[in-house]
Amino acid sequence: MDPAGQTRRSFVYRRLAEAGAVFGAVADVALAVHYGDPDAELETARRLGLADLSVLPRVGFKGAGAAKWLAAQGVSLPEVNGAAAQPDGALAARLGPDEVLLLGGLDGAAGLVGRLDEAWAEASTVEPRGYPVPRRETHAWFVVTGAQAADMFAKLCAVDLRPQSFANHRIAQTSVARANAIVIRADLAGTLAYHLLVDSATADYYLPVLLDAMSEFTGGLVGHQALQALLQ
Amino acid sequence: MTGASARGGANRIAGGSQVDYGKPLGFEFEGRRYEGLAGDSIASALAANGVWLLSRSFKYHRPRGVLTMAGHDGNTLVRVGNEPNVRADRHPISEGLAVKGQNYRGSLEKDRDAWLGRVSRFLPVGFYYRAFYKPKWAWQRLWEPWFRKSAGLGEADLAAAHGYFDKAFGHYDVAVIGGGPAGMSAAAFAAKAGANVVLIGESPVLGGALNYARFDVERAGAAKTRGELAADLEKSPNLTIMTYAACTGWFADNWLSVVRGERLHKIRAREVILATGAVGQPAQFRNNDLPGIMLGSAAQRLIRLYGVRPGRTAVVVTANDDGYGAALDLLDAGVTVAALVDLRPESGTAPCEDAVRERGLTVFNGYGVSEAVPVRGNRHVSGVRIAKIGERGAVGDGGQTIPCDLLCVCNGGMPAYQLALQAGGRLGYDDGRSVFSITGLGGHLHLAGAVNGALSLEAALADGRRAAWRAVQALGIGGVTEPVALADPTVQRMRPHPIATHPRGMDFVDFDEDLQVKDILNAVAEGYNEVELVKRFSTVGMGPSQGRHSALPTARLVARATGRTVGEVGVTTARPPVSGEKLGVLAGRGFEPERHTAMHHRHLEAGAQMMTAGLWWRPAFYGPRARRADAIREEIAAVRENVGMIDVSTLGGLDIRGPGAAEFMNRIYTFAYVKQQVGRARYVLMTNEAGAIIDDGIACRLSEDHYYVTATTGGVDRVYLMMLWWNAQWRLDVDITNVTAAYAAVNVAGPQSRALLAPLTEGIDLSGEAFPYMGVREGLLAGIPARIFRVGFVGELGFEVHVPTSMGEALWDAVTGAGTEFGLRPFGVEAQRVLRLEKGHIIVGQDTDAMTTPEEADMTWAIAKRKPFFVGKRSIEMRGRRLSKRKLVGFTLDADGPLPEESNLVLRRGEIVGFVTSVARSAALAKTIGLAYTARDASEPGAAIRIRLSSGGDVNGVVVAPHFYDPENKRQEM
Repeated sequence: MDPAGQTRRSFVYRRLAEAGAVFGAVADVALAVHYGDPDAELETARRLGLADLSVLPRVGFKGAGAAKWLAAQGVSLPEVNGAAAQPDGALAARLGPDEVLLLGGLDGAAGLVGRLDEAWAEASTVEPRGYPVPRRETHAWFVVTGAQAADMFAKLCAVDLRPQSFANHRIAQTSVARANAIVIRADLAGTLAYHLLVDSATADYYLPVLLDAMSEFTGGLVGHQALQALLQ
Repeated sequence: MTGASARGGANRIAGGSQVDYGKPLGFEFEGRRYEGLAGDSIASALAANGVWLLSRSFKYHRPRGVLTMAGHDGNTLVRVGNEPNVRADRHPISEGLAVKGQNYRGSLEKDRDAWLGRVSRFLPVGFYYRAFYKPKWAWQRLWEPWFRKSAGLGEADLAAAHGYFDKAFGHYDVAVIGGGPAGMSAAAFAAKAGANVVLIGESPVLGGALNYARFDVERAGAAKTRGELAADLEKSPNLTIMTYAACTGWFADNWLSVVRGERLHKIRAREVILATGAVGQPAQFRNNDLPGIMLGSAAQRLIRLYGVRPGRTAVVVTANDDGYGAALDLLDAGVTVAALVDLRPESGTAPCEDAVRERGLTVFNGYGVSEAVPVRGNRHVSGVRIAKIGERGAVGDGGQTIPCDLLCVCNGGMPAYQLALQAGGRLGYDDGRSVFSITGLGGHLHLAGAVNGALSLEAALADGRRAAWRAVQALGIGGVTEPVALADPTVQRMRPHPIATHPRGMDFVDFDEDLQVKDILNAVAEGYNEVELVKRFSTVGMGPSQGRHSALPTARLVARATGRTVGEVGVTTARPPVSGEKLGVLAGRGFEPERHTAMHHRHLEAGAQMMTAGLWWRPAFYGPRARRADAIREEIAAVRENVGMIDVSTLGGLDIRGPGAAEFMNRIYTFAYVKQQVGRARYVLMTNEAGAIIDDGIACRLSEDHYYVTATTGGVDRVYLMMLWWNAQWRLDVDITNVTAAYAAVNVAGPQSRALLAPLTEGIDLSGEAFPYMGVREGLLAGIPARIFRVGFVGELGFEVHVPTSMGEALWDAVTGAGTEFGLRPFGVEAQRVLRLEKGHIIVGQDTDAMTTPEEADMTWAIAKRKPFFVGKRSIEMRGRRLSKRKLVGFTLDADGPLPEESNLVLRRGEIVGFVTSVARSAALAKTIGLAYTARDASEPGAAIRIRLSSGGDVNGVVVAPHFYDPENKRQEM
């Protein structure tokens, strides 16, 4: 599957392709499914892996009434700067009292994210319900996995992200490698993992910076298959 | 212990704990090959080979060698590869390592500048302040070139390749600085209590003095204690150990800079324990800097860590029991100890002393060293002259000379106070008892061990535990029993060697800067009677060792000369860094974020020359640099005559949503928006509270409650913050979101743009009737959900298409594909600048400055005067009542005349009345056109304008209305 033939393209698909990515369809988008050796990538993912999920569904809601409306839609909402897993595999990350980011599941299905998109558009305009934020476009979505992920972040970010200090499902809205980023710890079936959301226009800057910081731990890019394998 | 080893140098003996006798390594020093052992430092490996001369001193080029073996002095600075100022006593050797000495002319052995020492009396302290200014010609032609050549330590290799340096953050409950017994004891205690601890030690292995000092005759205690401490540390899962790491600074809130290798660790700790130990002090007497004269601890480090015999015949001078331990170590290493000179009138009763006497050593009680005797060329010590200490505490004349090739100085130590003083501590000194104290530290800083005056091993260990207990209490960890305090039985370990002022000098106070006793005394005599002034006048303490060895003798000399106590005189301010830091370490890995549009790589593939716009990269023009002018002209022609496409993704995008959106727009921008129709775009102009223009763009009303507003590339972040700031006060029911990165956008402009885009659109009629100028439509373009605006910055029929960023490249590809038959050309920022100038559109920030009002820029048409309020309204009204003296105007010049540059001045009768803001040659108008500020009373069309060129000449033009091209706007509205 050629990502350059798709309407929706990852912000970094060229760099992934240069690194040997094999792209495949996940739901309706082209994702780097592996880099030639899924078994080795699983090991890398356990040690220190980086995957690009930028093309997968996500959405945000913010503004007056957003949290209340989302709760009414059945989204389980955590405290501010916390995240909560949803039954379909989505993750609700609460960035503020009335600001929520919803990351879809790794399967790429529209799921909750799609349902909320539609529900918002159809909802009555009388009750405040916040406003959707195009997070799939404003932010690139990386996931950093593995036991040494926190050591890698220590080189890029001033926040203490070590697992003993930064509990699962905690959020840091901070600066990573001198640009704004959202870091959400969301372990993948026992493997330490952080979602890293950065300004989509800086994705092309971030990818080599992350890989450089990972190199000392022999970390590297892993495909979607390796992430799925972690979950099994 | 005395058995010489076959490998690793002739002075190699058994028993070095840090070297691997089975791994010889070859390396070069000054072009000669030597063999050392794995684990050796450069200095230890050279010492093993009998090479003691490591470098030359800064001012007098005197031979210098090992002093501390701890990386604490500037004597051992060498060049490794292309890196200058490497500390030879810290840097490990490796196979093939190439090392050179520093600061010599000719060779290290035969330095052609060594004569400087002989003329030292002509170079007194501060000589450079009052010499060299006469005769006038001499400075530039003679002195300055000579100083430039002589100044500086080491030589920077400007052609060196970039190194890889980086930084890392660390967060701990407790940071313990110092890997000696007190630090190990503190770290073990705190970790055991459950705190998250980092232990930072400067040596390659933990243990500090436990690794080399002789605490007892049998030397069994130290190894046992070290083993126990190491076992305790090993058991602690929540402990991080950083060895070979230097804490170079303490900053507010316990922020510590720790350099380890090529990485700067930025460590934050809730509690900090300083167990930095004490710094052994050299003694002052004539020729006290000769190679072969070193601290007793340096000799012990050579023996115990590296298995190197530090000399053949030694004299030990001591102020306390330490010298006796050192003497025993020397004897064990096969060194003949010719004499033990004890400053104390009577020795103590320590076990080591008895052992020394049992081994038949000659002990001179109440004696000091008055002079060291050099071999030819000052390359090594050949003997020391000792004499009785007189009643007034001075080493007397006469005495006797004892031949030796090693003098070990055991004066006791001064607390390694630098970090504590950086953190606000004060150093006190009891002159009578020669005891230091550090007081005044904040609540989250604790001292432990020698730096805290706990000098014996038992006291240091106990003090470490108590410091850790206090830290643990401060962390709120309960249930930890308070460890017992231990009074230190050997409080008086420091007894400064009498400063013997020799008439022929060379009695160095500061080895780094070659400052002698008389230099300090002369500085005081000049009136610089405070240590801070003495430091600035004489440069004492400014060298690489940062006053570790010079602060105390300087204080003693200043005290003596001014009739005060050392406690009253004190030491100079301690500032970071404690030890040298490489610039590369401070710089770290460079993070320079940049932003790319979705079409970035398409531009590169099309040969675009990119330029920055804030963090963004934008195409300036397409094609080779050599074709710049032609490329821009062709791009302009394509837009004017056919069709062009420009990436405008970098434009700011803001969603203003909610019931209060229209009111918000009305307040934040100058124009009127309440009655703006849905599906229409309107110009926006933003002024600040001073009534100055700060941004512009267009507002598209997508629904009653939703405006999508563009802002300038460089201004959007500030506009967004201002919007949030204002609405925090207004409390309008509106949500403001910066969606700049969410949309990629292109502007397809030119007479053929409609024909090109029409087949691509679905659900949008692009005809002039259905989609008039300033219309806004949403629909599909090439299957991509798009917002399309009919706006015209470049003055031609044009459509601005905004799509989700992830689809931006697909949009570019689709339009490019469809444009082939129309001869579509991508155009860059340079062409756009000319095109908009032809239309007389201003660029905020280029054609406006911090003062420009809408009136000056002829933009009052964009102000809704009947609105009760908008940001800047009051100021605009006030400034409107008393107009400024300038006005932004259009001007034309002959096309074949000289081309002014932006910022060239506008003159009238020799007075500056304005400046050029934009200028370009317009092919369409066959003229040079531009915008400039000029005098208000000469701003009417037809008035003359004179511009001073960068070359100095003037060019004359005519003021015209700025709407140079298609003033009726027929082309963009067709």
